[in-house]
Amino acid sequence: MEWLMWFTKFENTKPLSLLLFLISFCAILWYVFGSKKRSDRLESYKNMPFHED
Amino acid sequence: MASVGVASAGQYNYDVVRKFTILALIWGAVGMLVGVIIASELAWPVINMDLPWITFGRLRPVHTGAVIFGFGGCALFATSYYVVQRTCGVRLLSDGMASFTFWGYQLCIVLAALGDVLGFSQGREYAEMEWPTDLLIAVVWVTYAIVFIGTVFKRKQPHIYVANWFYMAFILAVALLHIFNNLAVPVSLTKSYPVFSGAQDAMVQWWYGHNAVGFFLTAAFLGMMYYFVPKQAGRPIYSYRLSIVHFWALIFMYMWAGPHHLHWTALPDWVSTMGATFSIMLLMPSWGGMINGIMTMSGAWDKLRTDPILRFLIVSLSFYGMSTFEGPMMSLKDVNALSHYTDWTVGHVHSGALGFVAMLTFGSLYHLVPKLWDTGKMYSTKLITVHFWLATIGTLLYITAMWISGIMQGLMWRAYDDFGNLQYSFAETVAAMHPYFAMRALGGVFFLTGMVLMVYNVFMTIGQAKSAPASGNLAANAA
Amino acid sequence: MIKHEQIETNLGLMLVLTLLAISIGGLVEIVPLFFIKDTVEKVEGVRPYTALEQRGRDIYIREGCFLCHSQMIRPFRDEQMRYGHYSLAAESQYDHPFQWGSKRTGPDLARVGKKYSNEWHVQHLMAPRSMVPESVMPNYPWLMTPLDTSDVADRMAALRITGVPYSVDQAELDKNTKEFGAEVAKQLHIPDAQKNLVAQAQAGNYDGNPNDVTEMDALVAYLQVLGTMVDFSKYDNDRFVQYR
Repeated sequence: MEWLMWFTKFENTKPLSLLLFLISFCAILWYVFGSKKRSDRLESYKNMPFHED
Repeated sequence: MASVGVASAGQYNYDVVRKFTILALIWGAVGMLVGVIIASELAWPVINMDLPWITFGRLRPVHTGAVIFGFGGCALFATSYYVVQRTCGVRLLSDGMASFTFWGYQLCIVLAALGDVLGFSQGREYAEMEWPTDLLIAVVWVTYAIVFIGTVFKRKQPHIYVANWFYMAFILAVALLHIFNNLAVPVSLTKSYPVFSGAQDAMVQWWYGHNAVGFFLTAAFLGMMYYFVPKQAGRPIYSYRLSIVHFWALIFMYMWAGPHHLHWTALPDWVSTMGATFSIMLLMPSWGGMINGIMTMSGAWDKLRTDPILRFLIVSLSFYGMSTFEGPMMSLKDVNALSHYTDWTVGHVHSGALGFVAMLTFGSLYHLVPKLWDTGKMYSTKLITVHFWLATIGTLLYITAMWISGIMQGLMWRAYDDFGNLQYSFAETVAAMHPYFAMRALGGVFFLTGMVLMVYNVFMTIGQAKSAPASGNLAANAA
Repeated sequence: MIKHEQIETNLGLMLVLTLLAISIGGLVEIVPLFFIKDTVEKVEGVRPYTALEQRGRDIYIREGCFLCHSQMIRPFRDEQMRYGHYSLAAESQYDHPFQWGSKRTGPDLARVGKKYSNEWHVQHLMAPRSMVPESVMPNYPWLMTPLDTSDVADRMAALRITGVPYSVDQAELDKNTKEFGAEVAKQLHIPDAQKNLVAQAQAGNYDGNPNDVTEMDALVAYLQVLGTMVDFSKYDNDRFVQYR
């Protein structure tokens, strides 16, 4: 359980969380905006409110 | 791909939507009137009249309860029931349960207001209601969740539209917040003590308080925005991909931001640092929503010149962008040291509440009312324009007054004279507030007047619907 | 690889992921506060409220005083000069609910205790502008009505369930005697609550009339104890910085 103490120090958790957030941020952007085909597919749903009537 | 089996009008439950719409307007007018009264009490304390029931301390929760949960809540019930039926292509799960949420919710608001004026208070901001009302709210809310989620469950098409994601996150989050923030040991029907105390209680309360703003007043209203802005503009939302990113980021990050209400207090520093960090990051998903809404207009900006409803919607998003920029700034510890405890905070809340939430609601309901009562359009477009200007001027007066008085008071509290003593007594800073308190009350009068015009306009529209028997079904006009 | 469309089309998955996203923040920020012992520092002198003070606190909450008065002094030079030593978490450890507040339309009250006389408080609550002409506080003349003391034991019993160390039997009384001293421990004994309340109100004579027990007695008794429990002269200046 000693290793858990590593997480209680701000000087450790700050860079760690920065790194994690940066990686996930880039990964999300790459997934959502990265591929033309995927983009077209994801965007296809935005017309839903106009198909209802 | 998105495709909808078109349902005929009779297949939708508009009855409950109509009821909630009317009550939203009534609670709005009542809540804003109480707001003007308490603003005036601060400027002219004689208005308290030595009557316990109308003193500032008891009426303030009546104001917040009526505008947030009455006006805002009823508008959310109305629009969410409307949007979920139309984007899922099915009728609500159960008319009986939907009707129960209507009557139950109105009872909650009345009980809350009565409790406030009688002094039955838990002493928790935005959660003053005592435990019997809290229990009733919990029952109504669970029923709401069942109706809404059940309706999405039986939808006619595979895809769930983005507006419904926001509504569902709002329903789940509010349930979670309400239950944990109101854990209490009862003494009698009108008195209880919260289970938490001191620093932990402070953290729980502001986890609730901040996310009441984050989910009740933001996520849910973004759900409203994702349906009504595209509909009124006649074009799809700017970027569906952006909505995916900012939805997840927004609901994840908001829940961390509460401690910025407790900077420099006896709450441990690590928590408030975390709160500040997430508050600053929150700027990005917030602006994601604003950009998505405003850019929906790209290529059709000219519509703003002729359509006051669209103007309401777009100006509301501008205020949203402004106050979600101001918020992260105020969560910086050094700024917060000045702004906290002052009117700056009050102004910030109202730039979001009047500028964003109320204006978005006005725009959405102006769009909704002619559809619900099958009149094609509102009774008077001119009155909508007048309402727009009253609301805009009122909001600007309000937040300008609070900026000046808040920053001035913050600076006066920390001013020293040549000998290193405090320059001003507390009473002197109160006296300096007076003109701005009066100005704020005037801003409130403007905003309230606009609200009353809207009530008149809507009731005239409904009157028209009754006098001229509707031709054709609702769906024909709703196109 | 999972596609976002799977979430967009699967209601159950979307609900689970949403719940997950909204739960993490609260779990990380709230739960540790109950386990990290430095959250509430150990200080001598802090005790639960007496029956009369607690009833005064109930009235403070009933009237919504916290909407205009904070009870949280921040560690700044100007607040130190205006209000006194910055507030400690320990000082509100028995406060159900906390009343730190969020707005100072009126001044902070965390250390208002003993700063003014009882007479000043009574006059100020009855007619604030007779004492402070610039004030915007409402008058509270109805506080001069008799205090309902019938359920004070029930109230303390409820607080006991939340963890406030009020005593119900001899063993708990002994424990409190050890921790707070005999004088205080007697005041925390629930079976004597009503008797203690009346005695304190008559001895303290907070409202200027020793013969009755009014809401004014209770409220002033509460105001007069605020921030006075810790004797800061016993501690070094930077003693409490480590807990921040």
